Amino acid sequence: MELSWLWGFLGGLLIGGAASLYLLVNGRVMGISGILGGLVDGSGRGTWAERAAFIAGLVAVPAVLGLAAGAETHLTQNWLLIIAGGLLVGLGTRLANGCTSGHGVCGISRLSLRGIVATVFYVLAGGVTMALLRHVAGVL
Amino acid sequence: MRRLGFSALAGGIFGAGLLLSGMTDTTRVQGWLDVFGDWDPTLAFVLGGAILPMAVAWRVAARMYHPVLGGAFPEPPKREVGPNLVIGSVLFGMGWALAGLCPGPALASLGFGGWGGLVFLLAMVTAMVFAPMVRQRIDTLTLFRSAMDIRALTPAYAVSPQIEISDLAALKAAGFTTIIDNRPDGEIPAHLHGAEVKTAAEALGLTFVINPVYPGALSAEVVAVQKAAVEAASGPVFAYCASGNRSSIVWMLMNAGKLPVDEMIATTARHGYNHAALRDQIEAAAAR
Repeated sequence: MELSWLWGFLGGLLIGGAASLYLLVNGRVMGISGILGGLVDGSGRGTWAERAAFIAGLVAVPAVLGLAAGAETHLTQNWLLIIAGGLLVGLGTRLANGCTSGHGVCGISRLSLRGIVATVFYVLAGGVTMALLRHVAGVL
Repeated sequence: MRRLGFSALAGGIFGAGLLLSGMTDTTRVQGWLDVFGDWDPTLAFVLGGAILPMAVAWRVAARMYHPVLGGAFPEPPKREVGPNLVIGSVLFGMGWALAGLCPGPALASLGFGGWGGLVFLLAMVTAMVFAPMVRQRIDTLTLFRSAMDIRALTPAYAVSPQIEISDLAALKAAGFTTIIDNRPDGEIPAHLHGAEVKTAAEALGLTFVINPVYPGALSAEVVAVQKAAVEAASGPVFAYCASGNRSSIVWMLMNAGKLPVDEMIATTARHGYNHAALRDQIEAAAAR
């Protein structure tokens, strides 16, 4: 547990490595909300197979590793929070045209103004929501 | 086929990275957002670890002609920070705090996340399907915020001060089909040059005509180009320059002889342009 920052850093290197591979080999920005969103709203019809292959890898590899290692998500049991969270994440990332991977990892690393602004806003909004719901309302 | 293989490989490595870093554990993500509680800094190390190789990759990409498997590299990042970016990021941040999942980990944890993880993913995908409609709605509302600057001289012809590229979607949503740029490039920064705005407008399916009016040098040719663009338009036309002044003068000249001069002077005056001194010039044009 004390080494969580090290595992975080190593995992981060893998995430950045995957993003580098996707950029240099396939020529694409590794933004998950864009890859998935383009698949479900029809805007990415021309590249659907490449999108689907990425998602297949993203679901399958951690599924096998996670089940073998006994990984847990510790997701809340509150269905209202789960559904509201999913709706807000889906809508917000598509309006903003990016999430933690696209704006965060791929955007900040090329000093994109939009990536930096988006990251500042979603981290601030997340922090304020957490503070209000956990420490003021006591529901999280 | 190789393209699909590498795509799946990138997805797989990304998923493994999320799992190893602990980002599929919602308590870690919520712990990072919980600044006033038991703050967990792990996510900062994940983000830092991911940005390092990616910063190198962008530099490598800049020295390559094309990606290994062909095609083109992504375009340079856009610079406009519009309402969709800010509103979207705020909503995303709120949802991120509620469940502790963002799109990547939501997919990566599907295999071991149970029913809760599946329901989260379904809710997220449902919202993604409807997001384009909401986005368009926000674009339209943005238009009303700046609507004071759109000065419709007639239902078919409006003039305006200088626009930004981010205004184009709202203009399209408002029903304009042709945009005319009456401002010479020499007056404005490079990112607003006619060719730049034209590319963005045409990407949205708008017709874009570059027809610069140099102060004090308004030629009959400029009037003819404007007139042809208006006649060829399939819907309302939107013309802009620095203040809309020049676009409104061109409108008067191209309608000289068709509309009464008094009426045109009154119409433009209602929108803030004083063209009373141009009466002789318009009447001379009408006589030709």
